[in-house]
Amino acid sequence: MIDIEIKDFRRRVENINSLPTIPNNLKQISKIIEDPLISLREIGDFISNDPALTTKILKMVNSAFYGFPGRISSASFATVLLGLNVIKGLLVGFSVFEVMQNTMLGLWEHSLGCAITARSIAKRRGIKDYDDVYVAGLLHDIGKIILFLEYPNEYKETMNKAKLNNFTIVEAEGDQFVADHAEVGAWLAEKWLFPRNLIEVIKYHHIPQVSKNASIETAIVHSADVFMRAKGVGFAGDPFVPELDPVAFEMLKLSETDIKEILEEMEDFMVSGKELPQ
Amino acid sequence: MLKVSIDKLDPGMKLAKPVIKGNMILVNKDIELTETLIKKIQNIGISCVYIDAPTKQSISKEEALQQLDWRFKKVEDKPYMNMLKRLVREHIEGLYD
Repeated sequence: MIDIEIKDFRRRVENINSLPTIPNNLKQISKIIEDPLISLREIGDFISNDPALTTKILKMVNSAFYGFPGRISSASFATVLLGLNVIKGLLVGFSVFEVMQNTMLGLWEHSLGCAITARSIAKRRGIKDYDDVYVAGLLHDIGKIILFLEYPNEYKETMNKAKLNNFTIVEAEGDQFVADHAEVGAWLAEKWLFPRNLIEVIKYHHIPQVSKNASIETAIVHSADVFMRAKGVGFAGDPFVPELDPVAFEMLKLSETDIKEILEEMEDFMVSGKELPQ
Repeated sequence: MLKVSIDKLDPGMKLAKPVIKGNMILVNKDIELTETLIKKIQNIGISCVYIDAPTKQSISKEEALQQLDWRFKKVEDKPYMNMLKRLVREHIEGLYD
């Protein structure tokens, strides 16, 4: 167990901008999105000034997934279309992708699969802001990346421990850190001024019944996470499927046919989506 | 049969399943793709089509099912997990057809 008080741990996580192992693009994005006065237009300008980022965002909105294939040609239009919260979420998602590739191989694929699945469940349940649920799926495990960047050796050890002792990664994190990835992720989501619902989903995706303000979104991301582990999409730190919270799962009223279709749909979008962030 | 993203289609590929949007068949199976047809397919709002080619799963079906058993070993007696495992097994088997 790392000997640090939880409040110091939190401060350390929140200071990620000064961490040398954090890639520059994430630092830059982190600075932009934690500004409470940032406007959609400024974010649009920021994206427009970065050709690589522009390509990623345009590729995303022009994919069949978003239903506007080939019709959107400017970053500013894309930001208006997606809205501030979704665009902030995508920026963080894209910028941590590179880190994910170098740290936990397969976490990007797991996160993307989870995002696609969560969106698909949200649509079925008639949730209007299903893109927000997509972002929640994409970022639910962001705490793992941060733990890994802050404590690379300890986190590798945690993953090994999970594998050797048949622990889930959350169980193993509990032995090593004063806060698990869900809590760490929620700290960052708060720092980045993400909406309250998103913070709750990240914080409670392993204990969905605790969520008060976003119980349905948390139940969705929790279930999407379990579905992806069940199918073995990507890698999330340990090889095991965690158990479904029965109350959360029942809340979604998914039939067997629903689940089959959701898996099919995910498979379809993964074929095109996997290439998105490159 | 192979699922191919619409931006990776080439003329000469043959459709293994019809291209469907909603309940409507837009292009029949066994049709060979041309450049014009590919452009049309790219504009109807679907992400993938099925092409007549050997499947490209990275591991064999037996291996995939073995890994499935391994992944579920901690939770098989938990509520809904047996159902989920059965559905995922059927899903994985479908990927190898």
